[in-house]
Amino acid sequence: MWLADKYIDYVKEQAVEKPEESWGKLLLGFQANKLRTKLLPKKGLAKGYQRLEAMMMAFVADSLAKPGSYVWGNIFAPCEIIQCLGLHTLSIECLACYLSGYHLEDYLIDYAQNSGMAPTLCSYHKTFVGAIDSGVIPVPRYAVTTSLSCDGNLNTFRYLEKKKGVPFTFLDVPYRDDKASVEYLAGQLRELAGRLEEQFGRRFDEEKLRESLRIENETRRELVRFFELQSERRYPGELISHLYMMMGMHLLVGTQQFLDLIRFMVEDIQTYPAFTGKKILWSHLLPFYQESLQSYFNTNENYQIIASDIIIDSMEMLDEEQPFHALAEKIIRNLYNGSYSHKAQMVGRLAAKLRPDAVIQFCHWGCKQSSGGSILLKEQMQKMDIPMLILDGDGIDKRNSHDGQIKTRLEAFLEMLEGEAEDEDRNAGEETAEAERAEDGNAEEETAEAERAEDENAGEGLAGDREEIRESGEDAGNGKGEKKRC
Amino acid sequence: MLGYICKYAPVEVFASMGVEMRRIEPDVTNFNQADMKMHPNICSFAKGVLEEAMGEDYEGILLTTCCDSIRRLYDVLKEEYPEKFIYMLDTPRITKEAGVRLYEGRIREMLREYEAFSGKTFDEERFGACLRELLEREAAAGQGAAAGQTGVEGIGEVQGKRPVRIGVLGARANPGIGEILEKEGACLSFDLTCTGLARKILYEAEDVMGAYTRGLLSQFPCMRMEQASNRDELIRRYADSVDGIIYHTVQFCDNYAYEYAWLRNWLRRPVLLLETDYTRQSYGQMLTRIQAFLESLQAKKRRPERKTEGERSMYVLGIDSGSTSTNAVIMDQDRKIKAFSVVRTGAKSGVSAQKALEEVLGKAGLSREDIAWIVSTGYGRVSIDFADENVTEISCHGKGAHYFNPGIRTILDIGGQDSKAIKLNEQGEVKDFVMNDKCAAGTGRFLEMIARTLEVSLDELGEIALASQEDIEITSMCSVFAESEVISLIANNKEKADIANGVCRAVAGKAFGLLRRVNMEPGFMMTGGVAKNPGVVRAVEEKIGAKLYICQEPEIVGAAGAALYALEQMEG
Repeated sequence: MWLADKYIDYVKEQAVEKPEESWGKLLLGFQANKLRTKLLPKKGLAKGYQRLEAMMMAFVADSLAKPGSYVWGNIFAPCEIIQCLGLHTLSIECLACYLSGYHLEDYLIDYAQNSGMAPTLCSYHKTFVGAIDSGVIPVPRYAVTTSLSCDGNLNTFRYLEKKKGVPFTFLDVPYRDDKASVEYLAGQLRELAGRLEEQFGRRFDEEKLRESLRIENETRRELVRFFELQSERRYPGELISHLYMMMGMHLLVGTQQFLDLIRFMVEDIQTYPAFTGKKILWSHLLPFYQESLQSYFNTNENYQIIASDIIIDSMEMLDEEQPFHALAEKIIRNLYNGSYSHKAQMVGRLAAKLRPDAVIQFCHWGCKQSSGGSILLKEQMQKMDIPMLILDGDGIDKRNSHDGQIKTRLEAFLEMLEGEAEDEDRNAGEETAEAERAEDGNAEEETAEAERAEDENAGEGLAGDREEIRESGEDAGNGKGEKKRC
Repeated sequence: MLGYICKYAPVEVFASMGVEMRRIEPDVTNFNQADMKMHPNICSFAKGVLEEAMGEDYEGILLTTCCDSIRRLYDVLKEEYPEKFIYMLDTPRITKEAGVRLYEGRIREMLREYEAFSGKTFDEERFGACLRELLEREAAAGQGAAAGQTGVEGIGEVQGKRPVRIGVLGARANPGIGEILEKEGACLSFDLTCTGLARKILYEAEDVMGAYTRGLLSQFPCMRMEQASNRDELIRRYADSVDGIIYHTVQFCDNYAYEYAWLRNWLRRPVLLLETDYTRQSYGQMLTRIQAFLESLQAKKRRPERKTEGERSMYVLGIDSGSTSTNAVIMDQDRKIKAFSVVRTGAKSGVSAQKALEEVLGKAGLSREDIAWIVSTGYGRVSIDFADENVTEISCHGKGAHYFNPGIRTILDIGGQDSKAIKLNEQGEVKDFVMNDKCAAGTGRFLEMIARTLEVSLDELGEIALASQEDIEITSMCSVFAESEVISLIANNKEKADIANGVCRAVAGKAFGLLRRVNMEPGFMMTGGVAKNPGVVRAVEEKIGAKLYICQEPEIVGAAGAALYALEQMEG
């Protein structure tokens, strides 16, 4: 989200001064950025990630430039159905991110809080509500949201309907994964298609939806292939690249254009050298602006994020013969739906496939969904002998994420990973078990102490239970580890 | 015994099986277990339920898929108590027929699982009979009153006057709110939160479970339901029947804040936003806010008997027991300040109050017997045993500000441990207020912390800020984070003056948020100890684009207000 700094400052100033009159300037910036990412892609980024960025900038800039070409959604809205009517789905979470490209998030968040929004609400939602209330962003004709994962969805969209008169469809996603739930949701999805036909005066073509699901299945297969390759090859990306990927998998999945890109990435990555550093599986959102995380994960030779669960939160193959039921199943089985053990199981499966060296879970401010279960996920990862770090921060509001605190936790964790690798080397050197335990103990104590001083969360368990983890380690290596829990 | 929390829980089906059902109302002192097993940023109610569940002996707990926090609560309880009946009932948000059918199926499924767990059996006929009996009992008790009406017996009229009528909206109200209202002599006219509603039971002989389910789902909708929009109309109607509304929210539950943000624009009644966290400690914060709110609704209510006789001068005393200083003011019958004192509050507020009393009496050359009436205010107001009555610092600041300058419409008070914005009308009556007493950022404590880090005195901090050359943003919203941010700035060799100014601006930013929330109007005044800090004053003035009126002794405004209250009492 690079824009010429001066223009950013200028637009921010204008937006704060006269929010209702700043939209043209904001849009101009998005369009300039679209051209920039196409013509002058970021140096050092892998080709696939350059193209991904350009595609996402173009998607947002082009949609916003044509009012009437898009509906607002949340990230889990079924874009496949919306696409069939020739409409784009712009998720409010992503729009909030794009507005933060102008550093407007603090102004908008304060705006929302001053109108009475809870300070503890998710910052993406607050940014967006602030943009609506202040008049920075124009409203579309229609919106679609789901109850999946986030309490804010229904409430934000209802607030918009009341305040700005934007009608919306609300999809109630049941918690349980069974036939009754699928029928219930499939019925709502069919109704959505009908509502959109009415609203936009276009015809919904079920065959188009089938085709879209075929493409989606293929895309998901290719994506998993790409993730596998990314755990073997060094493919330089940035924190934000993974967010773009998440956007693509939620807003553009089912389109030929996005499938072509993933296919290209699968080809392209194979021309890159082997990756020998630490492989990180990321869980939940990525605070793309965070300096310390950037320095460790943006095009870094030693650490690479090989996948994020938020990109592949649905792993269903879709039955195109029953497209509404297939989509209902996809949404219900999303890793953010149901119990946390369902999520832990799915992340476990992903981990068993990609064999990361560590998992980092980012607890985004205001997200009860991810924060509330983080300890359970950590236990699951421990059973699989995968160290996990829990970071608290904010995906968008810099004021809730203190760089120094994140840096200390991250560095201590990475040091610990390096330490483990050395331990393993020593193991290979046939040192006696006792000597090793003694040494381990010291190292653990030091790490544990350093971490305790800084943070209770991060240190907990990681150092303490290693004995036990080792014992179950073999299972995990065979991919059986997660079954113990399921 | 099964515990449950939600109004959509089908309590009656279990009751028909002879199971004792108890609605969990957390009353805890800490979240030690919950913070460890969940995450500190989870809704306080969910954390409270976890603490409660771990302390009490429930055979099981019935939860509904009401929100993200409760879903995570289920995961943790399930993990903690594999042997108990921890059940997550998937409750639809759509109340149309599809939702009713789904929910009925879900309830039946749950019953099967409970039968397997407990060995008890569910008998639909018995259930039907229980429902009939329940309805008959209700009819007999004449309790067929409209949903939402809660019992208000026991709250009589105060001194022959009509009590202030209060309605409660928002997230589930805890019993403390009702208790405080009752104690203060106010009448709780309605409680539309999920704890205040009467149950809605539908009975149809040929479709017992179906009708019962439809009844459950057609209760007054909470914010998680799709059809929550007809809440507006109901709320509007109910609100017209009361003098003021308490809008209750729970810390880290964000759903109801949306509604508050929406209806504060059109509701024709004064609204108090009250956030609680389900701990016993939050009672004090609740008390101050509710008392201040009631005071603002009944500005001219209390009239005690005169205490003085004869022709000699009459004196009253106001005493403001704050966290940093205890301030006392003696006023005569002509509303002139005879003397005042400001003493540092020590470890015991009662002792400091005594000291302030002695000091001010000494300055005025009076004795305790010369004082006709004493009103205490501030955090420690209830611990001052020599006071005749106590009034909240909100009302006192309002009155005090109006006394010093009748043109004042908006007050910013920044004290040692809290900050508040108060809006006044032309008569100096409180029309709205917001308080921050939960977080140190934006208070005097915060400035003290930073001054210590910068190795300057608190007085110097404001002075040196004025010499700042470079704008530095302190972005952290939490005082602890901000302190470490300041340490990094020091490490980066930033100038003290610039850091000090950055800190003053951060405080001003917080204050500005409070001021905006009361819809500030010109005629600004700043009170409290921080008003003596020129750095903060300048930063606030820049933010609001207007001058602040600051009286000579900004710390005694609350005490002066208290004295004025005392005088009014005497004047009858």
